[in-house]
Amino acid sequence: MITKEDIENIALLSKLFVPEEELDALREDMQGIIDFADTINNADIEGVEFDNIAGLSNQFREDVVVESLSVEEILKNAPDQAQDHFLVRKRA
Amino acid sequence: MKYELVAGFETHIELATKTKIFCSCTTEFGGDPNTHCCPVCIGLPGTLPKLNRKVVDYAIMAGLATNCEIARVSKMDRKNYCYPDLPKAYQISQFDKPLCEHGYVELSTGKKIRLARIHIEEDAGKLIHKKGDTYVDYNRGGVPLIEIVSEPDIRSIDEAKEYVEKLQQVMRYIGISDCKMQEGSMRCDVNISVRPVGSDTFGTRTEIKNMNSITNIAKAMEYEFERQCDLLESGGKVIQETLRYDDATGETSSMRGKEDAHDYRYFRDPDLVTILLTDEEIEAVKNSLPELPTEKAKRYVEEFAITDKDAQNLTKYRRISEYFDKASEGLKNPKTVANFMIGQIFSRLATEADKEIFDIKTTPEQLRELVKLIEDGKIKNNLAKTTLDKMLESGKGAMDFISEDDMGGVDEGALTEFCKAAIEANPNAVADYKGGKEKALMALLGNVMKQSRGKADAAQVTAKLKELIG
Repeated sequence: MITKEDIENIALLSKLFVPEEELDALREDMQGIIDFADTINNADIEGVEFDNIAGLSNQFREDVVVESLSVEEILKNAPDQAQDHFLVRKRA
Repeated sequence: MKYELVAGFETHIELATKTKIFCSCTTEFGGDPNTHCCPVCIGLPGTLPKLNRKVVDYAIMAGLATNCEIARVSKMDRKNYCYPDLPKAYQISQFDKPLCEHGYVELSTGKKIRLARIHIEEDAGKLIHKKGDTYVDYNRGGVPLIEIVSEPDIRSIDEAKEYVEKLQQVMRYIGISDCKMQEGSMRCDVNISVRPVGSDTFGTRTEIKNMNSITNIAKAMEYEFERQCDLLESGGKVIQETLRYDDATGETSSMRGKEDAHDYRYFRDPDLVTILLTDEEIEAVKNSLPELPTEKAKRYVEEFAITDKDAQNLTKYRRISEYFDKASEGLKNPKTVANFMIGQIFSRLATEADKEIFDIKTTPEQLRELVKLIEDGKIKNNLAKTTLDKMLESGKGAMDFISEDDMGGVDEGALTEFCKAAIEANPNAVADYKGGKEKALMALLGNVMKQSRGKADAAQVTAKLKELIG
């Protein structure tokens, strides 16, 4: 059973602000999603490997240095940058 | 009421691999910001992490060196939290299947501090806070770490200090990390609580972070122990929270106003496959380990009749013990080597760092040659001592300072002559000695040694002097 508190907690962890009046509607939606997931949980999976990396193991790298990218390339997609650093601005 | 301290440690150690845990960027310390980075370690979508084999081997070494069981099946998990030091908003770590479990570190008292687990994970990036803005450097992001989690078995500050020292020593011995607390390659968080002496339930604990030396760990624990005791004595309650230790004030303070309930929502990292280890692989790593300091010290005491304290000194750093092992090879009495090292050689190494580096001009083979001369009865201890000084200064061998003439003892007649001459030349010392000053004899002994060029036997000379003075 999903409670209002669960919704508040998920919102907090997701860094979302949810207005009080939307909590009930969200709770109902979330309950629906969880119920749907429950039908999956009830499926008979006896003997079925469902891990998407099942059967694979020990994929290792050797400890050999490969040249890194330039700082320009590293920062190319950064939303904000300064002095060769990624920049996280103070929230207004 | 009398209270008892209860503490456990979480210790992060940066592994000395050349590359990061999931990509091939260098782990070198320093470097210009964001120059040791690639799409994997800055967490770009669509990249695939691949585990560094060396990280697994090093973690197994750490586990074996601390008496852990090594898991035959292990896996990587995502630990979710949102903070700019993690570009992916999760840290790849290990949750329910760590590589090593159920080990212990043995203290000098014989007490075992149990280890719950050792797991591997990636380090976070470095944040620089300036005027409310945060500058992020991901050079350190993805550097491999092991986290060593102890059980709450520590009951005093001395135990805490020794525990951290022992971990540091053993990890350096096996060569998996330099464990420099000041540079952050070894970081300790301590969980601490108090309880009335005799109680067997645990009190509410706090966690102290941000301590960059063993001295600070001791100070922070002392402060926190007092704080919690005072709180309970005055009828208050300890709140479970994370504290930061401030080096400048020597106090701990809360890191967060409100303790947000940790919910890391661990789940398996679907990008990383299962780690399977065979008995043969683990055995091979075991065989590659050097002799560990505790075993070494025990062996020195048992086989060479070296005192426990000296054995601790000789095994504190790997280079010292290796030097000792080499220098005493094939000698009848390794204890002589130990005495020269702890006496004359250590006195030239002023700091702990000097001792650890153990950079001296004399090779272990040269020291062995010198001690062999004593063992063969060719030279006396005194001459050996002055010769060793010259050797340490110059890097030359013993035979560069000892002539054929120096070897062999001094016969009875010559000894008597030397003593008579010494007595004649030092009437004051003789008078002092007669007046009851036992030490005055040293001046006479020194004089004889000089005349005999160090060949005379000190005990014989002392006896002869006493006999002559009467």
